Amino acid sequence: MSILTQLNSPFLYIVCGTIILFIAAVSLFFLIRAYRAGKAMGIDTTKMKRVIAASATFTLLPSVGILLGVIALSGSLGTPWPWLRLSVIGALHYETQVATAAAEQAGLGGLSATTMTARGFVTICLLMSLCIMWGMVFSTLFNKRYLKRLGSGSGKSAGVSGFGDKAMTAMFIGLICAYLGSYIGGFISGNGRFTFTGSWLPLAVALAASLAMAGFVWLAEKKKQAWVESFSIAGSMLLAMAIAVLLGRL
Amino acid sequence: MNEKNLPAAESSAFDEEKKALFEAYNKSTHLFGRIASVITLVLLLGVPFVIGGYLGTSPDLKAAGSGFLAIGLVWFVSCIAEWLVYTPMLGAGGGYLAFITGNLINMKIPCAVNARDIVGVKAGTPENEIISTLSIATSSLVTILVLAVGVALLIPLQPLLQSPTLAPAFDNVVPALFGAMAYKYFRKNLDIAAAPLLIMSLLFILVPGLISSTSFMILPSGALAILLAWLKYKKTGGGGK
Repeated sequence: MSILTQLNSPFLYIVCGTIILFIAAVSLFFLIRAYRAGKAMGIDTTKMKRVIAASATFTLLPSVGILLGVIALSGSLGTPWPWLRLSVIGALHYETQVATAAAEQAGLGGLSATTMTARGFVTICLLMSLCIMWGMVFSTLFNKRYLKRLGSGSGKSAGVSGFGDKAMTAMFIGLICAYLGSYIGGFISGNGRFTFTGSWLPLAVALAASLAMAGFVWLAEKKKQAWVESFSIAGSMLLAMAIAVLLGRL
Repeated sequence: MNEKNLPAAESSAFDEEKKALFEAYNKSTHLFGRIASVITLVLLLGVPFVIGGYLGTSPDLKAAGSGFLAIGLVWFVSCIAEWLVYTPMLGAGGGYLAFITGNLINMKIPCAVNARDIVGVKAGTPENEIISTLSIATSSLVTILVLAVGVALLIPLQPLLQSPTLAPAFDNVVPALFGAMAYKYFRKNLDIAAAPLLIMSLLFILVPGLISSTSFMILPSGALAILLAWLKYKKTGGGGK
């Protein structure tokens, strides 16, 4: 039996599927109790339903991107393990990098089905888990104390404006700036400093998504079509990705 | 029930009741969050050994140890930074769930921030705690569902998802996400966004090697944005937009 056949065996699907089912149950449990607590605290249920709808639509497209990560890794690691890792704790940008580095450390030379061994595979699995579990470890050990120190959840009401909220918005702006800066840098110096021969597609796609978002904001604010707000991010992404397909043909 | 319609004494009692409800909710959130995290950790670390048992082998602990020292330390630092930065944004319930389910930067954080904006709640409030948890739990469930359907239909879907025609679309999911978010956030905060964007662009242009470490560059970029927001906050006497 080839290694890939073993890595795609029903046993591995059952083991990984069971863990994913557990995580789904945890998510559902948190969703239900948050909804009930919100209702008991007097939060408008329409608002909460809107959040659920918006988050679901928001997640659809990136999830398809993550599915591609599963497909990309399934050629060397089989399907069940990447399926588990990208459903639980993993991150799209992280898994391929760490799996490749872990394969090198396990003495396989690289991530490939031809050099993969059973011992190499389970060592890669362990190393991938060891490398990325620390956020979960820290949240288990210190979340309560950390949030208490920050005074999170103690804000008197939604109307109280403090710097904490502005700091979080600023941090998010910083995150966006880092990514947009990398697209600009990638185009200008991606293939050598100031060569202007790097990929311009990420930059063009980001610009297209911004323009689409501007259109949605205009509809929501000027045309009073508030309903589009819930779908504006997903809609902008879809339009920008469609433009990526068109530009990719150039 | 509308808090605004209540007389002062009843309104205060209403606040107290709300506070007590939230505190009880928050306390149990930490308990459930910790239990779920510990079980997930045990499962994730145990699975390689279970699979090893099935395949008639076991992980090479020496290689795993040296591998962790070689590549894991970088991710260890990155994970701590992520935990420090994103936990205040997500609150307790959202935080536990996001660190269990992963995909923080490319999905959970933008999703929670978007949800927060849609209903207009502030970070650090009980309302944010509820909204953030709803958003991240929904996002996790949708991802699990999409991946499960995708894996079940992997054979028929593979040619479509991996077609060269659609490749540029799926290669650019993250730029599309951040492009859309950029308009939403920059339009009202251009004074905060301009300098970090300029400095990050210059850094990536002058030191292209940093492009592969973009996730690490979020920290200095975010720190600069927070500094600018702080200066603006002080300048406007703490109440400016």
